[in-house]
Amino acid sequence: MSEIASAGVRTAWRSKPGARAEAARGAPDARRLLQLTLAGIWLLDGVLQYQAFMFSKGFSDMISGTASGNPRAVASPITWNASLVQHHLVLLNTIFATIQLLLGIGIAWRPTVRVALAASIAWALGVWWFGEGLGMVLTSAASPVNGAPGAVILYALLAVLLWPADRPGRLAPFTAARAVGAPVARALWLVLWLSLAWFALLPGNRAPQALHDMIAGMGDGEPGWLAALDRGAASLVAHQGLAASVVLAIALVIVAAGVYLPAPAARGTLVLAIVIAAVIWVFGEAFGVIMTGGGTDPNSGPLLALLALAYWPARAVATAPSRTAPAGAGEGMAAS
Amino acid sequence: MIPSWILDIFAAIMLVVAAVSAARLVAARPWQRGARRAALADIDVAHLLMAIAMAGTLASGLRTLPDGAWEVVFGVMTAWFAYRVARDAQVSGVRALAGGHCAPHLLHAGAMLYMFVAVSAPAAHGSGGMGGMGGGLSGMGTLELPFLALLFALALVGYSIWDLDQLSGPGTSGHYSLATARVAPTGAVLAGVGATAGSGATAGLGAAVVSGPAPVAAGLAEARQVPPASAPADGTGVLAPWVATGCRIAMGVTMAFMLLIMI
Repeated sequence: MSEIASAGVRTAWRSKPGARAEAARGAPDARRLLQLTLAGIWLLDGVLQYQAFMFSKGFSDMISGTASGNPRAVASPITWNASLVQHHLVLLNTIFATIQLLLGIGIAWRPTVRVALAASIAWALGVWWFGEGLGMVLTSAASPVNGAPGAVILYALLAVLLWPADRPGRLAPFTAARAVGAPVARALWLVLWLSLAWFALLPGNRAPQALHDMIAGMGDGEPGWLAALDRGAASLVAHQGLAASVVLAIALVIVAAGVYLPAPAARGTLVLAIVIAAVIWVFGEAFGVIMTGGGTDPNSGPLLALLALAYWPARAVATAPSRTAPAGAGEGMAAS
Repeated sequence: MIPSWILDIFAAIMLVVAAVSAARLVAARPWQRGARRAALADIDVAHLLMAIAMAGTLASGLRTLPDGAWEVVFGVMTAWFAYRVARDAQVSGVRALAGGHCAPHLLHAGAMLYMFVAVSAPAAHGSGGMGGMGGGLSGMGTLELPFLALLFALALVGYSIWDLDQLSGPGTSGHYSLATARVAPTGAVLAGVGATAGSGATAGLGAAVVSGPAPVAAGLAEARQVPPASAPADGTGVLAPWVATGCRIAMGVTMAFMLLIMI
């Protein structure tokens, strides 16, 4: 049974026959649900970009701060961008916010899903460089706990993996494989999670107090309960930087290899990936520091979890467009 | 500090929503259709009131009622939609909570109530770069329990995205239809609510009056089987289904915007 078909059945099996057809016509498939989640995160980003902090000098300072530690070829454009933003703060930030708002709306609006996903890839790559300093992956400051390799690059990766097209003639073993094929999707997953493991073992991250300081610092400006949570978590890893980094790296390597395992084992590693993403999001990223009024996005935690869901093994994921495109769907959804 | 013209744009959008909702009410003339049908106008009434309140919060020049009055209004509205959701749940089970017609409106009303109840003076919260926010927001201030604001914002964004998908997807003129649902279910639903609640009838009020996510489509088919007797030209012009859904999307995004900038 195809994923789409099963989704339709899941929706409809409790309904009467008349409603079943209705539900099957309107129910999005798994890939569409993931696309919608991505759209929601873009929309959230757009709204967050309208916060007062983003219209202050703090925003341009935040951008220029990402140049620090990067090679000159990478840092110079960032510094230029920060200066440009500082001089045209209101105009540029409004444009940034509106673009992200439109990306979310565009992905959610079926006829424009392809255009919006393509635009989101270009936008994400630009922000990754000019706004996030390539996620600091070229510096010693990159850590999976604080958002490396940069949340925004995960948007681009998801846009590629959730592209509304299907490779003909084969059944994809998981949603992320539908557009690019299983070997490429698995390779991308492997590279991502192995890179996270690598970052976890960087000298700056395995220092005795590195993880403690990183987590403890997240409590600043947060609500009391979250600050207390961060303090508690930080105390658990105090002076345990090396051990914590090694454990985290091992877990990340297991996750990286998980997509090559048989489905039951793969599911287990994906659950581990989601747990790691949740822990990182709560303790390492403090929900993207949204509650301080200075968060531009929810950071990498939700994106990593979303990515894991895209790799969830299906019994069989249909690739034939005719089976996945409900009547009346726009061209953008014809194969999604 | 958020430029006031950005807030004015959002306020203008809310005024458009209010005008459209008022036009829908006038065009539908629910007061001429008896109490039961008039009750189905609750969505447009809710949209109208919420849009006016939001416009007044975004732009001080558009302020109409004192905050205390809005708290009462949205308290009543929240209770009303909670009642409607509970009724839906009796017929449709948890599906009514997850994707029923009234669930998103309950969320909207609850978010508005929270916004008015939890707001505090800017000076009481002001921190760092947010210090100037209160002035820019025409005295909106900041919200207590910011995690709740985040949860509301996430849910509002989620519903808005879902609405956009359903509006642009298959069956737009069918199950995802406010206008159809406002009229078509009168036979099946209103009779069902009055006479067959608890008897296993699936054409319950919430399940049939559909503007929400796909799961609620269950039950609508039954409602559609009943001819929309005496239905006027609902479903066209300002009464077109997408108009009300569009209003809901605009309000959801604006509400999420307001919640997040008030954190």
